[in-house]
Amino acid sequence: MSLRPPRRGRSISVLAAIAVGVTVLAACSSGPSASSGNSSAGPQPATITFAASTLGDPGRGPGLQKLIDEYNASQKVVTVQPAAVPYPTFGQTVLTQMGGGEGPDLVRFDMPEFATASSSGLLEPLDDKIDAAKLKLIPGPDKYLSVDGHRYGVVFENANYAMFYNKDLVPNPPKTFDEFVQTAKNTTKGDVYGLAFRQTQAEEAGVWQDIFNYVLGFGGDWSDGKKLTLDSPKVIEGLKAYQQLYDANVIPKGADAATFRKMFANGKVGMELNNGGYVTATSSANANLNFSVSRIPFPEKKQGTLLAPMVVNANSKHKDAALDFMNWLLQPAQQVKLQGVLGASSVASPTERSAESLKKFPFLPALDELTDSGVPQIVNGFGPQTADIRHIVVTEVLAALQGQQDMATAMAKAQKQAEKLVGQ
Amino acid sequence: MRQIRFGVTARALAVLVVLGLAIFPVYWMFVTALAPDEELFRSTSVNLLPDFSRFGIFGDALADGRVARWLLNSVIVAGGTTALSIGLGIPLGYALSRFAFRGKAAVGLALLFTQMLPEALLVVPLFAVFRRFDLLNSLHGLILADTAFALPVVALILKGAIDGVPRELDEAARVDGGRPPTVLARIILPLIAPAIAAAAVIAFFSAWNEYVFAVTFVFDKSLQPASVGVAGFIGEQDTSIQSIMAVGLLFTLPAVVFYLFAQRYVVSGMTAGAVKG
Repeated sequence: MSLRPPRRGRSISVLAAIAVGVTVLAACSSGPSASSGNSSAGPQPATITFAASTLGDPGRGPGLQKLIDEYNASQKVVTVQPAAVPYPTFGQTVLTQMGGGEGPDLVRFDMPEFATASSSGLLEPLDDKIDAAKLKLIPGPDKYLSVDGHRYGVVFENANYAMFYNKDLVPNPPKTFDEFVQTAKNTTKGDVYGLAFRQTQAEEAGVWQDIFNYVLGFGGDWSDGKKLTLDSPKVIEGLKAYQQLYDANVIPKGADAATFRKMFANGKVGMELNNGGYVTATSSANANLNFSVSRIPFPEKKQGTLLAPMVVNANSKHKDAALDFMNWLLQPAQQVKLQGVLGASSVASPTERSAESLKKFPFLPALDELTDSGVPQIVNGFGPQTADIRHIVVTEVLAALQGQQDMATAMAKAQKQAEKLVGQ
Repeated sequence: MRQIRFGVTARALAVLVVLGLAIFPVYWMFVTALAPDEELFRSTSVNLLPDFSRFGIFGDALADGRVARWLLNSVIVAGGTTALSIGLGIPLGYALSRFAFRGKAAVGLALLFTQMLPEALLVVPLFAVFRRFDLLNSLHGLILADTAFALPVVALILKGAIDGVPRELDEAARVDGGRPPTVLARIILPLIAPAIAAAAVIAFFSAWNEYVFAVTFVFDKSLQPASVGVAGFIGEQDTSIQSIMAVGLLFTLPAVVFYLFAQRYVVSGMTAGAVKG
């Protein structure tokens, strides 16, 4: 018996909207503050918190914690402690805390939350704190971390989306979308599914990441940079492809990402579109899994990329300490170690894959090659509103998936709602 | 006679079926916690028997130290919320039931209104208030936040229970010189003990399961309650399903113990006076 019906499900969606709202309110009252210290003088003694959903991953978390411990042991002035923010509500929780004048000192955000936070003045500008040239930051993904001419973050992780497949279940990876559908159908037998992807409102951010690949892969885009194009034919075509696979009964319907990723690691799922960070998690969950990675077999050679910036909270009382850790992590030696922790993801600066990792994961170069065609999962030209647009789109797409409307109607409705939202 | 026996057997069977439906999810959690990876997703045959050779997962969870800390924090928050809600709910319920005062209807309506707002809607303004009064990142702050949601329900339950107590009893006590607090403590409270126990169970479970305030208002890992701690087992790329099930089971135990404890009072209160003439 409980006081009211289970709160978390309905609360999370409301909280998401509230979190975005509060950031906008915060923007009215608190602009970015100047750095409190001079980095050349060194940081003041402080204990700072670092919030990263990566820390909660059984596969990658311990490695990142080890790296943090290494920093803590390397000097006696700054101590970095992981902040306790669970992954399922990470973005909403941190944005609410930051909007309320608190929050972790350092945060590893996903792009929609980064766009919201940066446009709301919740992030410390890093223009004169990060020497991009000296640190040799990779320009492609790095350019997305400047808003209105100001840098608000550095790349923590840049993970390209690709097709992961179980080589025992899928000996010949598909090269076209039709082959992709057919392979998924042929592989689905008994307790084995050909494919898996997210398809529930509870995983709104995940569904957005998944459908992003279908939209880009079929030549669509959510906007032309100035106007929203949610109901354009190419977008609808991509989403119809997503629906086709849903209707083909080749996925474990209702299973969340935690479940179907575990299924993939245990040989119960043939294919999955996921980002490079999944390599470490998968091999950690099952070291004996015979899997590989190749380009997503959609008509257009373009896919989403999970670009995750590391930022300094404008509310932090220890910005110098936060920057000290950030700069330490951007040094070449630490970047190599961070990439080792993150798996097939890229980091902020170019690193060479070790012979050992190439031997273990020979497909790594194929993943790295996708960096040029990777697109961060934000709505081009509407970065700060991406989280709200995402909610509208995912809600309508899932309603279409459930048979409540056809996909064209869904996207026409989404376009109308989103236009109203952005004031078009 | 045979008909009576059949009726009893049918009722017993019906109770067993309902009990089975209620308990099966918990049993399934137990079996899943002890299942190896390869057993988790087998749909061709379902193993309903737990693999006790893997029982160590529960020991590992507790040996970690974090789980025990989370549970202790949850006990403090849920216990504090229950005590505060009952402590404030009794006089509030009594006042609403027995006294006529200006704005009484508005107070009753306001209590109902609080239940119509999802807590996610209040988390932002509450965050600002808690920050102003330095209540963030503390267990007593969480107790206050949870009490704000539990108190209206507790007060309305207790008001309903007090409404059921004949006013003649109050009047008789007053004739004997009893003032309202004395009447409440000596006459009313013993008679509404079952309702107090039921309200306590509701307040305890409400705070025990609460997540949104807990995850937003508490930053320090050592102050996290178990509802947040368990959610932390869900990773971005990887999740240990067995660990979640094991910790989830441990998470339910203190709440079940509290319910069993409170249930005695609910039952004894219901039967009290049943044999008096």
